[in-house]
Amino acid sequence: MALVTDEFWSQGDFVAESLGMPDLPRVRLPHPVAGTGTERMQEIAAEVAPAILAALEAADG
Amino acid sequence: MAELLSAADEAEALEELHRRGCTDGLPVIIPTPERVDRMVLASGLDADMVLGTMGPGNGVATVEKVAVSAVMAGCLPDYMPVVMAAVKAVIAPVFDLTEMQATTHCTAPLILVNGPARHLCGPIASGYGALGPGHRANASIGRALRLTMINIGKARPGVSDMALLGHPGKFTYCLAEDEEKSPLPPLHVDLGFNADDSVVTVVGAEAPHSVIFSGSGDDPRAYGLLLDMLAIGLANAATNNAILTSGTGVVVLNPDHAAVLAKAGLSRRDIADELCKRCVMSPEQQLHLMPGMVGPDPPPRPAFTDPSQILIVMAGGNGLYSMVMPSWSTGTHKNSPSSVTVELGASCAI
Repeated sequence: MALVTDEFWSQGDFVAESLGMPDLPRVRLPHPVAGTGTERMQEIAAEVAPAILAALEAADG
Repeated sequence: MAELLSAADEAEALEELHRRGCTDGLPVIIPTPERVDRMVLASGLDADMVLGTMGPGNGVATVEKVAVSAVMAGCLPDYMPVVMAAVKAVIAPVFDLTEMQATTHCTAPLILVNGPARHLCGPIASGYGALGPGHRANASIGRALRLTMINIGKARPGVSDMALLGHPGKFTYCLAEDEEKSPLPPLHVDLGFNADDSVVTVVGAEAPHSVIFSGSGDDPRAYGLLLDMLAIGLANAATNNAILTSGTGVVVLNPDHAAVLAKAGLSRRDIADELCKRCVMSPEQQLHLMPGMVGPDPPPRPAFTDPSQILIVMAGGNGLYSMVMPSWSTGTHKNSPSSVTVELGASCAI
């Protein structure tokens, strides 16, 4: 499971493709995350947690 | 075999290579089969011999594909053994090429050449303006490595090469050590190679930063002051080395500065030791500059944890200025250098 921000989404696609894992589960985060402060980071975590859980469940099959 | 494109003429071919993102933005020599064959022949190796894979695109680097980049960069066939060694150096796992190509940092591969290849595969400049324009071998060897990183490694700005700005050394960054003028043994000898070996050492490095120093020959403190100045430039508090610690820093001493340190009886190891002791961020600086990253009572923070993390070479003209290159510091191997012997025996004279 990779957490990738908007700015790096196309790089994530490129790396997954070049590693032969184009379907590698990825969850998109807004950019930036680093340096935004505790409150904003908690907001982001709350926003993306369901998507992370869903992706993990899907990976489990 | 590399993919063969066709075009009506060389002007159209050049535009097509630009359109495909296969250049560094500057015009290239069109890698026709005849030119590439000539470069392969100069390597003395089979065209389809595999050197390894280059990240982040995991492209397979064959002798032929490296030769394509060497032609595009404007190399003479004589340079091919050094280009091959540089490619092997960045492919080595210790170099962390995939991570280095992908990072947001501005790191670029600095090629340091030692031994007879400096003359046989060049001349590769080590004197006045060696990192500037006007030196064909330096310019085209470094450029050839970059073109392999673009076309085999698939580094594309903003997609797979995420350097926020990069630096001009990403076009070319190649230097020979001035072994003839240096009071120190050659770098490759201190790295464990034989003096008559030819060796390419590649290290990810920032752009060169000038360090000015003019001490009096009568002043017994001169060497210490020079070391102080070099340390300030090498690991100032804004560098990755200071903040993240480790990595490999490079110091390029000009002949006058090298003489000051040699006169004080310092070996390369001694110089690196002294710089390590000086490249330390104080607790006060850490509390001011790194809030949230350190505890309330941090110990002094050394930028380099071992003298081997500082590469010292001698090059440049005589005068007041040496150069330092701080570095990226990360990757699995913490931005380690990679040294490879240049295979001169296999090459064919063209």
